[in-house]
Amino acid sequence: MAVAVKTQNLPLIKKIRNIPREEYYVPGHRTCAGCGPALQYKLVAKAAGPNTIFLGPTGCMYVANASYLCTPYRVPWMHTQITNGGAVASGVEAAYQVLIRKGKREGELPNVIVMAGDGGSVDIGLQAMSAMMYRNHDALFVCYDNEAYANTGIQTSPTTPYGANTTFTPPGPAIPEGKKLFPKDPPQLVIGGHPAVKYVATASVAYPVDLMNKVRKALNVQGPTFLHIHAPCPKGWKFNESKTVEIAKLAIQTGMWILYEWENGEYKYQHKPREYKPVREYMKLQGRFAHLQEAHIAKMQAFVDAKLKAPGIPVAVPAPPPRAQA
Amino acid sequence: MFIIPKEKEVPLGCITPAPVTEQTMMITGNWREYRPVIDQEKCNLCMNCIVYCPDACWQLNEAEDEVVWNAKYCKGCLICVNECTTEALSKAYELDFEDGVVRLEKPF
Amino acid sequence: MAKEMVLSGCAASAQAAKMAKVEVICSYPIRPYTALMMELAKMVANGELDAEFIYGEGEHAQLSVVLGASAAGARVLTGSSGVGVTYAFETYSPIAGGRVPVQMMIADRALDPPGDFGSEHTDAMSCRDQGWLMGWAENPQEAFDNCLINYRVGEDHRVLLPQFVCQDGYFVSHIPGKVLLPDQSQVDEFLPPYTLPHPLDPKHPVSHGPQIRPDQGTIMDLQRAQAHLDAPAVIKEAIADFNRIFGRDYSPFVEEYMTDDAEMAFFIMGAHTMTARHAIKHLRSQGVKIGLVKLRFVRPWPTQEVAEALSKFKAVGVVETSTSYGGAMRGGNLLHEVRASLYDLPKRPLTTSFMAGLGGEMVPLKEFYYMADILSEMIKDGKAKKTVYWVGFEAEA
Repeated sequence: MAVAVKTQNLPLIKKIRNIPREEYYVPGHRTCAGCGPALQYKLVAKAAGPNTIFLGPTGCMYVANASYLCTPYRVPWMHTQITNGGAVASGVEAAYQVLIRKGKREGELPNVIVMAGDGGSVDIGLQAMSAMMYRNHDALFVCYDNEAYANTGIQTSPTTPYGANTTFTPPGPAIPEGKKLFPKDPPQLVIGGHPAVKYVATASVAYPVDLMNKVRKALNVQGPTFLHIHAPCPKGWKFNESKTVEIAKLAIQTGMWILYEWENGEYKYQHKPREYKPVREYMKLQGRFAHLQEAHIAKMQAFVDAKLKAPGIPVAVPAPPPRAQA
Repeated sequence: MFIIPKEKEVPLGCITPAPVTEQTMMITGNWREYRPVIDQEKCNLCMNCIVYCPDACWQLNEAEDEVVWNAKYCKGCLICVNECTTEALSKAYELDFEDGVVRLEKPF
Repeated sequence: MAKEMVLSGCAASAQAAKMAKVEVICSYPIRPYTALMMELAKMVANGELDAEFIYGEGEHAQLSVVLGASAAGARVLTGSSGVGVTYAFETYSPIAGGRVPVQMMIADRALDPPGDFGSEHTDAMSCRDQGWLMGWAENPQEAFDNCLINYRVGEDHRVLLPQFVCQDGYFVSHIPGKVLLPDQSQVDEFLPPYTLPHPLDPKHPVSHGPQIRPDQGTIMDLQRAQAHLDAPAVIKEAIADFNRIFGRDYSPFVEEYMTDDAEMAFFIMGAHTMTARHAIKHLRSQGVKIGLVKLRFVRPWPTQEVAEALSKFKAVGVVETSTSYGGAMRGGNLLHEVRASLYDLPKRPLTTSFMAGLGGEMVPLKEFYYMADILSEMIKDGKAKKTVYWVGFEAEA
C-alpha cells in the first residue's frame, strides 16, 4: 500500500535577514494591538508556507482572526470546536493519505497544523491532541500559550501561572495570591506519553528565527510533532501592548520559560541565559501579578528554581524553599 | 423561497474566500492612538520591526533597501518602536498627522 | 451478479460502506453498533477495502475525525450507539451547519441510567433537530440500502447534509436476515464519486467557518432549513433511481401495509415493524380492519405524505420507541409530529401513542393486539381517552 509522504525539506533560516518575505497570515484581523498569539501565528504561517492547512480550535485565534465572514488566512483554514483540533486534523491528514494514494489529489502531503490555545491543547482539547499523537498522524500541533482563556475574558487555564489574577482566580482576603495551583507542563505531557512523537520544541515570540526554524523542523519530520509557543497577552497579563516581545524575552531571562528542542529523545537548549534574573523582574511588569506579596513571589521563584534544576540548568538566584503547595 | 438582504448574506456553510495579501474586510488602521515614524537615515535594516509586527505592517520595499509601513492596518501597538535597535523608530500622536485617523468615525 | 446473503444489520451496513468505497472510517467501541466497525476493520485488514481506519478516542473524536476527512474531500463513515451518540452531541450542529455530508450509522441503544444494552430510539431521536437527515431501517436489507441512499442524497450538492442512518440495536444490528447484495457496477451507477464544492485544498484556499454577526445567524439556520426543504425532491429522485437500478419498490417516505380498506393503523418505524406486520396478518384473519404506515425518514419529516397516508383512517396508534419526558403528549416524540402533520386536514383521524419497545424490551404480538383493542375502542367511543399508553404497564386494561 502506497503511503503519502512529505518529501519536503523546508530549509532552516540562518539569519533574520533571510526570513521568507511572503505572508500567509495577512494584515486585517481583529486581534488586540500587540497580540502575542497573532505574532506567533504570523511566524508559524510564514515558516510553513503555501502547502499548508490550518485547523483553528475556538479561542482567541478563532474569534479575533476569523471575524464576520473574513479571515487573515491565505492558506486553507477550518474552524474546529475547542475540544477537537487534534481529531479534525487527524481526519484531514487521513483523507489526504487516502486521496493521494488513490490518485484523487496530486502533489505533496500538505502541512496539517493545529493552532490551538492552551485550553484547546492541554485542557478541554487534551484528549484529541493526545490521540492525534498516539495515532501517528503526520500533523503539527501548536499550542500557542497565552496562559489563560483570554477570548472569554481572561479565565484561568491549566497553564496560567501560580499567583496570576484572572477572572476565575481573583485575589481577595481569603485567597490573597489569586491562583493557588501550579501549571501543567504541556511539552512534558507530550514527551512523556507519546512514543510516536519524535520532535517537540518550545519557542517564544521573542526569538522569531528560532521559532520559525522549529516550525520547519517539525514539518520536515514524518509524523506528529508538537510546539509549545510562549505568546504574551497584553490584555490578559495587563502590560503595555508595546512590551509583548520584551516580556517574552524576560520570561526566558528569568527562567519562567525555557527554550528547548527534544528530538529523538535528546534535549537541546536555546538562548539559555548565562545567569538567570529573579522572576520578580518578569512579574513586576505585569498587572496580573501586582497583588502578590513577597512570600508568593518567593514561592514562584522556588517553583522556577526547581524546574530549572530538573533539566540540569544551574540556578543563579538563591530561593527560599517552597511552601506547602495549595 | 426566502428573501435574504444583501448585507446579511452568508455563503453556503459559511465557507469564505481566503485573502491574498490583505483582508480588506477588517481594516484596523483606525485603531491607532500613536503611529510609528521612521527615520530612514538611522535604520540599519535589522528586520526587528518586520519580524515582530503581529499585523505584518512592516515590509521591505521591492529594492529591499528600506522598510515600508502599512498605515491601513497598523494598530499602533508600537512593538516596533520598542524593539528597534537603532532608534530609527519613534512614536507620534496620530492626530498630529493630516492623514491621521479620525477615531471612531468607522469603528471596524 | 447480485447475490443473496444472510447478514446482520451491522454486517449489511459494512458491505454497503465497502461498495460505496468509503475512504476514511473512524471507530470507537460501544455495543451494539461496534460490530459494524469490526466488519470494516476485517475488510481493511484483508485488503478488500482501501480506506484509512482511524481508532477514535471517543465518539466526539469519531465525528471530529470524519468531519475533517469529509471536509478534505474523502467519503467517510462513522457510527455509534446509546450514550456514545449523545457524547458526540457538540459536533452535530457544526457538521450540519458547515454542510459536510458525513454518514453516521446508529444502531440505537437505551441511554443510561443505568447501563442497558437494549435498543431504544431515544439516543438518535435526541439529535434529530441538528440538521441531519435521519431515518430507520426495518431489517438488514434496508440497513444496506439506506447507507447507499443516504450517501447519494446527503452528498448531492443540492442537499449537502450529514446523515444519521439508524437501525434498531440487536433487533436489526445483530439478527441476520436476507440481504441482496448488488453488483459493484450497480452501486457505481447509483452513487457518483464524492465531491465537495470547497474542500480543504492548498491549491484552492478557502476558510471554513469564520464567525458571523448575530444578525446573520438566522441565515445560517435558514440555509439548513432550506436544505431540508430541498432534500425531499432529491430523495424522490434517488429512490426512483434506486428502484430502477436495484429492482426494488421503495416509496420515498412512507410505506403502507394492508391499508387499502383499513379503518385503523399503526404508525411505526424500525425493527418492530416486522412484528407489527405479523400482528396485522393475524388481526386481519380475525376480521379487524387494520394496517400500518411505516416511516422511512424522520428528517426531513414528510409532513404531506404522513397526512395523506393517515387521513384515510378513523384511528391511528403511533408506536413510540423513544421518550420525550414532559412533552405535550406525555410520551414519545413521534405523536407530536404526527398530530402536527394532521392538524390542517379537514377531517383528522383519532390519534394516540403507545410506549413500546423501550429499554430494549421486545414488542410481542400480544402487545400489538392490545394496541389494536385500544384503537377499536377509540373508534367506538369516537374519541381518544389518552394521548399515551405505556404498553404493559397501564392500570386499566
